[in-house]
Amino acid sequence: MKKAILLTLALALALTGCSKGLTIFSNYRRIENIELVRAFTADAREDGVLVSIYGTAGEENDARMVEKSGPSLGTAMGELLMMPLGREAILSHTENMLIGEDMARSRLNECLDYVERYSETRLDIGLLIVRGSSARDLLKGLSGSDPSAADVIAGLANHLDRVGEGTVFTCREVAVSLLENGVALVQCVRGVEEEKLFDARGDLNIEPAGFAVVTEDGQTLEFLTGEETLGSLLLLSRLRSKNLDLTVEDAVFTVSLEELKTAYEPVFDGDGALTKMKVRIAAGAKLVSLRGVADVTEKACREAVERALSERLKAAAQAAVARSQALGLDFLDLHGVTARKHPGKLAALGRDWSEIFPALPVEVEVEGALRRTFDIMDSPEIAEKEEMTPWEKLTESLKDN
Amino acid sequence: MLKKEKAPPEVAENAPVTVAALEAVFETCYDFESRDLHIGGDASNKARLCFLDGLVSGSDVAEQVIRPLTDPDRFAGVRGSQAIARLLGGSVYVYTAKCRETLGDLSADLLNGFCALIFDAERRAVTFEVKSPQRRGVDAPKEEKVVKGAKDAFVETMKINTTLVRRKLRNPHLKIREFPLGQRARTSAVLVYIDGFTNPELVAEASRRLEKIDVEGALTSAVIEENIVDRHRSPFPQVISTERTDKFCMNLLEGRVGMLVDGLPLGFLVPGTFSQFMKVPEDHSGHFIVASALTLLRYLSVALTLLAPAFYVAVAMYHQEMIPTRLLQSMIEAHASVPFPTAVEVVLMLLAFELLQEAGIRLPSPIGETVSIIGALIVGQSAVEASVVSPVVVVVVALAGIAGYTMPNIDMGSALRLCRFLLVLAAIFLGMFGVAMGCALIVYHLSSLESFGVPYMSPFAGSEGRHQSRALLRKSMTVKRDREPELKTGDGGEAKL
Repeated sequence: MKKAILLTLALALALTGCSKGLTIFSNYRRIENIELVRAFTADAREDGVLVSIYGTAGEENDARMVEKSGPSLGTAMGELLMMPLGREAILSHTENMLIGEDMARSRLNECLDYVERYSETRLDIGLLIVRGSSARDLLKGLSGSDPSAADVIAGLANHLDRVGEGTVFTCREVAVSLLENGVALVQCVRGVEEEKLFDARGDLNIEPAGFAVVTEDGQTLEFLTGEETLGSLLLLSRLRSKNLDLTVEDAVFTVSLEELKTAYEPVFDGDGALTKMKVRIAAGAKLVSLRGVADVTEKACREAVERALSERLKAAAQAAVARSQALGLDFLDLHGVTARKHPGKLAALGRDWSEIFPALPVEVEVEGALRRTFDIMDSPEIAEKEEMTPWEKLTESLKDN
Repeated sequence: MLKKEKAPPEVAENAPVTVAALEAVFETCYDFESRDLHIGGDASNKARLCFLDGLVSGSDVAEQVIRPLTDPDRFAGVRGSQAIARLLGGSVYVYTAKCRETLGDLSADLLNGFCALIFDAERRAVTFEVKSPQRRGVDAPKEEKVVKGAKDAFVETMKINTTLVRRKLRNPHLKIREFPLGQRARTSAVLVYIDGFTNPELVAEASRRLEKIDVEGALTSAVIEENIVDRHRSPFPQVISTERTDKFCMNLLEGRVGMLVDGLPLGFLVPGTFSQFMKVPEDHSGHFIVASALTLLRYLSVALTLLAPAFYVAVAMYHQEMIPTRLLQSMIEAHASVPFPTAVEVVLMLLAFELLQEAGIRLPSPIGETVSIIGALIVGQSAVEASVVSPVVVVVVALAGIAGYTMPNIDMGSALRLCRFLLVLAAIFLGMFGVAMGCALIVYHLSSLESFGVPYMSPFAGSEGRHQSRALLRKSMTVKRDREPELKTGDGGEAKL
């Protein structure tokens, strides 16, 4: 037992190091002296980088924002964290990092590098690019008492997934995508003075502004908006829900996407050449509202809505594919899909993916299904059919693949 | 200056029986009584009646011994060895009569509630069992209460205890072997087991350890427990002690060896393993699903009572990144007005909790309960309001304390309390590494323990894997279950208990 005690004590000492104070473990912090950095920003300046941190100690009412510039993100942040603020700022609870457009264009890698290397920061920090203003100005504009700026940003991040306006990629996801594909999507936001999504008390509110397409070398910074954003979410399987207005004859059907399944099938010819990429999307939707006159219990009406849904989603997906191929940047990860499905065939192609991808025919098929209309005559029992619905057929075929 | 008292004469165990020798043994004993009896009413035919007042029933002595002995119709002209033969043959109305020829046996009988009739000329005595009925009656268990279950508990009188066991296990193979304990107190202890079923090696080892006990007297449970366990320095209990007769008998049926000691209202069972200390008698009276869920809850309580304060100290002092943001914000805010560091705060609260618990136990029942309530409610709340401690610390320490109270065995609860303190100290100095190392040491210690050759952590360690669920879940009574293989019972097969 004595040997075991000595061994574990030695192991513990080796792992913790020896501090000068009363405690042995050198990581000691008094809890009342901690300031949690909930969010920070980075903006490019002519002489370096301006960093702002938004920290709280206890209640959000005590939240404050401090900033510091330096030749690099690391030095600016280091000086900021060492400032005699009366409290010790820690980055382990940082949820989002906002970077200005200029910073993203020129020094995105520096931001990712800092997050990766600094021991306290988590790799799942959400990365956002601020359009239209500096990140620091947006954060300052958001700073109110209730809810806090950090909560407003976090709220937006959760909100995006639900309304299908975008998705916040984490630093880890962006870094992995840059490493694997040389390109990544980053969610963009902008400050607005009107149409506040939240009851924020700051001067500004925040709204989604599509995706930025960033490259490994930081040289390319393009933006996706509207249908391209929707198509990207669809093809990346990151769309959780979205309400769409579909016009069929004189009626406007608002449907809410419920279930989405995206399946890829790279097609190779007999010589092993990649001839096309088939993308099949199964989309289930429920009817949210109806403006105009239509009988949704009729098969013909339902099929018309389903056709309209399919066409709308197909157009969005094709727009995203077209933009991706036009830029020559595979941000939809078609290379990854091919590599996962047919690693041997991909390796045998003998050509670089950057040569194949821009001219690769991408065939998109969308099967939309109106699953629930909530019409009184369209109860599950009445709607029950003997033969398989198109949705069920597609789901089955996807399973087979 | 006090005069040095004369040392009491040593009882020569094999000395012949005489009145003078016996009176010398019990010289200056306030409760020793002796008187001459005229056998058959003949003044020339005398025998000496001796007994210890209080240990014997006066009316029984008068009615069952003196009256028939002095009756001329029965004993007229009967002298010496003839009288002894008649007494042993049943001429008096006592069910137990023994002929004693040595002073040691005679003294032992007197101390066990016998009265003795000494025939000086014969150098012999006849002893009759006439024990005083002044003893505590069988009562409901005070500590191990159950709603649905037997309401009889062991008492201080050995005979009553063995009777209670016999009534529950009406089996001729139930053996009760006696071992006198203590050089001076000569306390009677018995080993209880089912012959032909209980592992004979276990019986032999238990007998050997009982015989080896070398103490002045076995008046407390620690005398038994500490003298028969494998590792007496371990704070963890290795002998199951119970006041419940049904639990005692159930363990005998599982193949354990039981021990009863005169004067102790407890039964002891060996081997004691960790999983046995997690069981309560209610497990066998409630529904098996509920019993299984509650057993799992008790294991969770072990983790909570051991780790909650240490984990809190570690994350609050060193690993703040492990705490969810909202919770950390609340903790920072709550701690802002507290002058003490987290370590001091937690140690203070733990000590206060132990003080309250100790005060509650030591004080008489109604006052003790009041002290506990006042301590918990008023002192705790006041401490928080006075910013001496933060509310989170009160919650954590109280949670650990309450979880500790779910331990079915008080000794196990005490051991876990001790370990809780050590883990908190490890957390203070080494953070989560210290907690991990402390846990590793506890597991190492528990895994290295054995109780009468059975691994203490069986069936989790040192046992077959398929038996592990046995410790955590109770099967339905309708399902036959495997016996504990570590106990190596005679049948070694399935049991339906």
